[in-house]
Amino acid sequence: MKKTITVVLSALAIVLAGCGKAPEAKKLSVFCWSEYIPQSVIDQFTKETGIQVSVENYASNEEMLAKLTAGGGQYDIIQPSEYVVEALIAQNLLHPIDKNKIPNLSNIAPQFLKLSFDPENKFSVPFMAGTVGIVINTELIKDDIKGFADVFKPQNQGKIVVLDDAREITAWALLSLGIPINELSDANLEKVKPVLANWLPLVKVFDSDSPKTALLNGDVAVGVVWGGEGAILLQSNPKFRWVIPAEGTHLFIDSLAIPKTAKNVENAEAFMNFILRPDISQKISDAFPYTNPNLAARKLLTEDQLQNKASFPSDADIAKMQTFRDIGTQGSKIDEIVTSLKAR
Amino acid sequence: MPLLAWLLLFVIAPTAMLVLVSFAERDSLGRIVYDFTIQNYIRAFDWLWLKVLFSSVWYALLTTLICLIAGYPVAFFIGRAPQRWRTLLLMFVMVPFWTSFLIRTYAWITILSKEGFLNSILVSAGIFTQPVEILYTPFAIVLGLVYNFLPFMILPIYTSVEKLDSNLIEAAHDLGAGPLLAFSKVIIPLTRPGIAAGAMLVFVPSIAMFAITSLMGGGTNPTIGEVIFKQFTSGRNQPFGAALGSLLLLIFVLALWITRKYRQED
Repeated sequence: MKKTITVVLSALAIVLAGCGKAPEAKKLSVFCWSEYIPQSVIDQFTKETGIQVSVENYASNEEMLAKLTAGGGQYDIIQPSEYVVEALIAQNLLHPIDKNKIPNLSNIAPQFLKLSFDPENKFSVPFMAGTVGIVINTELIKDDIKGFADVFKPQNQGKIVVLDDAREITAWALLSLGIPINELSDANLEKVKPVLANWLPLVKVFDSDSPKTALLNGDVAVGVVWGGEGAILLQSNPKFRWVIPAEGTHLFIDSLAIPKTAKNVENAEAFMNFILRPDISQKISDAFPYTNPNLAARKLLTEDQLQNKASFPSDADIAKMQTFRDIGTQGSKIDEIVTSLKAR
Repeated sequence: MPLLAWLLLFVIAPTAMLVLVSFAERDSLGRIVYDFTIQNYIRAFDWLWLKVLFSSVWYALLTTLICLIAGYPVAFFIGRAPQRWRTLLLMFVMVPFWTSFLIRTYAWITILSKEGFLNSILVSAGIFTQPVEILYTPFAIVLGLVYNFLPFMILPIYTSVEKLDSNLIEAAHDLGAGPLLAFSKVIIPLTRPGIAAGAMLVFVPSIAMFAITSLMGGGTNPTIGEVIFKQFTSGRNQPFGAALGSLLLLIFVLALWITRKYRQED
């Protein structure tokens, strides 16, 4: 028994030593959202560069943060949203990017570059953007819906699906009060409570993963959902209509970044440049119709794709939208408020 | 020795980890900071979380009861069936569970939704004029839980029934007991270990189950499993999640201890 252990340990030691010494292996470890980077894109990257890619998925920014900071895995590429990029930079957890290695960055529309969460784009490049808006099944709802106030009305009780995301829901309530979505002081939370107390009992389904399901199945008539989900609904049936809330809404920007702990930084930069290539970016848009920030890729999209308002809101609409800032521990207060109003 | 190592690795170490984290704090990024605090437990006893816990316990109890009522006759039937049939019948219980429970849950969503299979039958058969709301109701939650945990009730009871000595039942009949009396005075007490094991196996996981409850219930009734899950993700509050988890664990230990005590006194 002892002998076996010694053999195993020495074998392990050799393997570990080998790992440490390797210069930059032909490897890349990608930690990204589920349903965001098509497998065909990953395969093509391996085919063109010979770099073997291992992919791990997450379903929320916080899940990614938890795994990243616990040091469980060695990731070379992560895909954080804007407020998480901000937090990671503040905690000095990202590796600066060598922009000379990413010439395709010039394909990105200026409105998605040099934003407040990473003013110089020193640590992140935009992957996809998107928004949150209202989808209406016009066969079931005849009223004119312009914004959140029209969705959360007593006559829509039991006909609404919303994202199961406390921060999102709170942001909508803040918008309806005319308060910027990042001003989450305790005083503002008190103002939000009565609004949410009116809204949440009207909701039939809370679902962040696939809110389109309840709309497609006819279980609900109106939803506040991600733009990408809305775009798919609009494609599927003309009875669905997309409305950007009159009160304004949340614009999210998901980026690619390299964690400090990354082992294969050069491969990661090669991957970033690959993703920003117009033909690759087009493939991603075909599969997941979010707001593509890549102007060169947009030229390759069909007229139908570009006309889809859930994917591509007008510049005037985008100008009215707000992005999330990191709110740290205030998040669990919001979570508590939303949970308490759900549980009755 | 191997058993001890196994216990240490898979039972004691994770539990110790959980308890340790539950007394810690976290920073703004959600990283655990090992400063001793009991704040997480104080917060856990807020009425809000207790309410969520009670409703989860209620759903779990209901699920256990329905599983028992639905599962006992099936287990009894299989256990008393001719030997050569038993394996096949047990297969019928198990086969659906060879596919992922998420796929089966989505199948239920397709069946129960307003434009789904069941509603289209009910409406075209003229039983209802309008599609009825089944999905995203408490009924759907309990249905999902019962469907998913029923085999955990059937299998332990089956084991008890199989061991049941027919002579004892015959003796009861010979001594003048009717079927009802024989069942309640002889069969039930003899299969009690199976019932207790089945009840535990259904009750414990259904308290903490969150995927089925949020998918089929629409997430409008937060369960304790869902709340804990959210602390570890969007809430960025692992210590609080760990505290809720430790309390849940305590409840299970208590429940187990009480059933054991009750059995010993028997």
